[in-house]
Amino acid sequence: MSDTLIKLENIQKVFFTDEVETHALADITLTINKGEYVSISGPSGCGKSTLLSLLGLLDASTEGLYQLAEHDVSNISKKERARIRNMEIGFIFQSFNLISDLDVEENVELPLTYRKDLSKDQRKAMVKEALEKVNMSHRSKHFPSQLSGGQQQRIAVARAIVGKPSIILADEPTGNLDSKNAEAVMELLDLLHAEGATICMVTHDPRSAQRASRNIDILDGQVISDNSLTKENKSSDTVAA
Amino acid sequence: MIWQDFKYAIRLLSKKPGFTALTTLVMATGIGLSVYMFSFFHTILFKDLNFQDGASLVMVSGSINGKEDAYRINALDYAEIKSSVKGLKEYGGYNNANVVVSATEGAIRFPAIMAQANIFQLTRTKPILGREFRAEDEKAGSEKVVVIGYELWQNQFSGENDVLKQNMRINGEKHNVVGVMPQGYLFPRNAQIWLPLQIDPKQLVRENSTTLHGLAHLEDGVTMAEVNRELSVVMKRIENQHPQTNTGISAHVTSIPGVGGADGAPVIYTMHTVALLILLLASINVGNLLLSRALERGKETAIRVALGAPRSRLISQMLWESTIICTLGGMIGFLVMAWGLEITEPIVATFFADPLAFWWDFGIDTYTVTLFLTILISTIFVTGFLPAWRSTGGDFNAVLRDGTRGAQGKKAGRLNRFLVISEIFISMTVLISSAVMVQSAYEQTNSDMGADTENSLVASVLLPAANYDTDAKKAHFAKTLQSRLENSASIEAVMLATSLPGHYSSISKVIIEGKEYSKDSNNSYPSANDIATMPGSLAKLGVELRQGRYFNNSDDGLAKATALVSESFAKRHFPEQGALGKRFRLAKTAQDNIEWVTIVGIVEHTIQGNRDGDAASMPAIYRPLTQAPRNQLTIAMQLSSKGSLAVQHLRKTLQGIDSELASYRIETYQASNDRITAPVVFISSLTAIFAIAGVVLAASGIYGVMANMISQRTQEIGIKRALGADEQRISREFVFAGVKLLLWGGIPGILAGGFMGFAMAQMFGTSYSSLVLIVIIMVSIVVATVLVATYLPTKNALRLEPSQALHYE
Repeated sequence: MSDTLIKLENIQKVFFTDEVETHALADITLTINKGEYVSISGPSGCGKSTLLSLLGLLDASTEGLYQLAEHDVSNISKKERARIRNMEIGFIFQSFNLISDLDVEENVELPLTYRKDLSKDQRKAMVKEALEKVNMSHRSKHFPSQLSGGQQQRIAVARAIVGKPSIILADEPTGNLDSKNAEAVMELLDLLHAEGATICMVTHDPRSAQRASRNIDILDGQVISDNSLTKENKSSDTVAA
Repeated sequence: MIWQDFKYAIRLLSKKPGFTALTTLVMATGIGLSVYMFSFFHTILFKDLNFQDGASLVMVSGSINGKEDAYRINALDYAEIKSSVKGLKEYGGYNNANVVVSATEGAIRFPAIMAQANIFQLTRTKPILGREFRAEDEKAGSEKVVVIGYELWQNQFSGENDVLKQNMRINGEKHNVVGVMPQGYLFPRNAQIWLPLQIDPKQLVRENSTTLHGLAHLEDGVTMAEVNRELSVVMKRIENQHPQTNTGISAHVTSIPGVGGADGAPVIYTMHTVALLILLLASINVGNLLLSRALERGKETAIRVALGAPRSRLISQMLWESTIICTLGGMIGFLVMAWGLEITEPIVATFFADPLAFWWDFGIDTYTVTLFLTILISTIFVTGFLPAWRSTGGDFNAVLRDGTRGAQGKKAGRLNRFLVISEIFISMTVLISSAVMVQSAYEQTNSDMGADTENSLVASVLLPAANYDTDAKKAHFAKTLQSRLENSASIEAVMLATSLPGHYSSISKVIIEGKEYSKDSNNSYPSANDIATMPGSLAKLGVELRQGRYFNNSDDGLAKATALVSESFAKRHFPEQGALGKRFRLAKTAQDNIEWVTIVGIVEHTIQGNRDGDAASMPAIYRPLTQAPRNQLTIAMQLSSKGSLAVQHLRKTLQGIDSELASYRIETYQASNDRITAPVVFISSLTAIFAIAGVVLAASGIYGVMANMISQRTQEIGIKRALGADEQRISREFVFAGVKLLLWGGIPGILAGGFMGFAMAQMFGTSYSSLVLIVIIMVSIVVATVLVATYLPTKNALRLEPSQALHYE
């Protein structure tokens, strides 16, 4: 069985607004293996978030092939895409995207409620485990508005991992956090990676990017570099920073 | 600064012409319809009479078993009221009458008033020529005098000043004209002739007393409610003294325009409530649209706050938008409403054979303008101030920092839910109550009166009492008229009766032989429509015989005493043994020697007068006109050629029999019946317009609010989809939320609408199965509206890719 989790070939994404065609992604080809910790970097508007949306099946490519766990998901139905997002992908967003009317426990449980194979007890147990992992069990009955930004993002991480997805996609997970909270969230991602999770993270922050094992640079919708970072690279960069 | 804000509001509104047109139209509908409805009922029922002290002038009427209507009051009771009730002063009274005036062009029938001497003093109006009535005019045997109206003076006397030296033949008797009233004076309703009401107190017997409509002024500082309390005490005392005649009889005062209003109270209250609800619906819709726009401009508001704008300035700026929309909508609504009131008068005039009440002047008056301005200012406040206050009270730091609406979003969500619940409640209430009204009008216009009305003309004739003072004369007239009319080639058949099926009839109390009635009260005697008809008329009218026989020549003769009864009469009073051969008599206890009448036939049930409730099910007794002749007759003529020939023949025949006879109310039989249902058809048409407006407003409003609510949750939809919720799941969630709102608004709406509908169903006799069906249909309409209004915006939101939805603002 192959280690390749994600395979993109000649992916293109074009946005049509009025009479203007915007080529957000052009000929992206890459693979992500199971257990990898990939960071995607690049300037604003380069297409990195669009790429993450395509990877997360939040959007469909205009052209190209996308295989997830050796299955072609380029042209699948919306229903199937929803099922895969629920079972295989965990999302962490820059602005947390917690639902304000639901408490912490309900927010984390939300993706599990879309599955039919879990009993209520099983869901509760999985939520408990996820909250313990992010160290937020004591806040399970709080609402998002009662939490700090860092705490909200930890809840978002718990929600992303609660369903034990194949890959965690994080879009600027520290973008709305101060340095202390950002560090805590990054440590959490490190921990998840260490436990075997596959993570793909879009980030502006070079320090966050260096925590990944592989860094893909994008410019004008194209991959301009794809480097695997060694421990030495990481530490020297960290020192330099 | 104000000018700057005004210009800015104009710029914003002109940038979105669709929005501006929609909101203006909604406000025009809400304001126009509600002002129309209030103005309409105010003109009919609540207007102060345009006389000095008009506001304190009241009518004293009877009440029977708690039902307050324009019942005439027993003259003896009235005399006791005069001496006992201190809250009233200047007592007077009158009776309505039809009189025949002999004029050069033939006899003409006029509605007249037989009034006590102070009638003109009560209205503080003096004749423009001659004098008012004097006390001596009321005395029996005094010189016969008449006061005439301005229009009659102009038409019959060419406005000549020597009219006071002239006389008129009224009901076959010479009357001296002693006064001419000013132009437009028609008190108490539409009178042109006033005659003195002559009541001899010594002749009055309680069991068979003269009755009259009482008139009086309220004492200074006394309210009608206080007088009514006093009246109940006095009437209770009379009841205790005279239980035989007065059990269940009381009295009450109302304003002159308000007479009879209590009878239609459920309709009046329902229509007012519906009008208010429509206005509320329109205000909620516009308020919600303005709130949505204000929330959309949250960032702009936040920037203004950051730049130091005080909240009052922000509110004033937003208020301009609603001021412009409501004023523009209000003006359009006002113009349409003014046109509506203008065309109302000719429509309402078709409801009555006689001219309209003199105060029924539909149009723009002080009340209407004041009401319009009050409603306009209220709508500006509701639609503008509240959304402005709401939208300027948010967490602007959050808006500026990360583009979110902070706590405002949650508050707006609650407000949206409240708005949807309100709209569901209002639409449910309006729809159910309106539908009952429409159903009732449908049932009434399609009810079977029990007769064929096709191709028939009807006319009335009034026999002057002076010339037809014996039963023999009256019976002879009826026979002569019938035989002469039947000789016309233009008339196929002639039917003569005091009242035709469908028309109002007099009602009498009857005593069934062998049945026991309470000795203490006349109230225990059953009532029946009391109709006299020429033999052969019922068969020709298509009133089918069920048992026995119709009247025939054997019934001819004043000494005979036979009757037909309606099937409903037979079932009610002889449910088991059958009515044929049984006897009854009219319950006039002062004349216990009244003959017993034998039932010789049973005919199908006919409806006399109102098509609803108790009136429609009132049984009837029929006497031959040859046995029980009357002064007022209705003629129905089945036509064999043009109607005009039959009318000519009728007039000629009447002139040939007696030159002092007038035929009046000549029209088709169908038209005469339609007139009876015309008011309810008109009101139900108005209600239907309100209901349609209500449905459109509610549907658009619910859609608007739901769309707004769902649009505000687009990001949430994106999150849920990112987490794996599929489209069906999201749609289900929103539809379920819609159903929850439906329950919150719908259940109270069903209760309120059902309550109003039930009150009207009872009044109109609409069956409960119809009411239940109406509720089911109307609930289905609202449910469908809410589901569609929920599903469509959800579907729209789901068209966005999750990635777009996540970044939706």
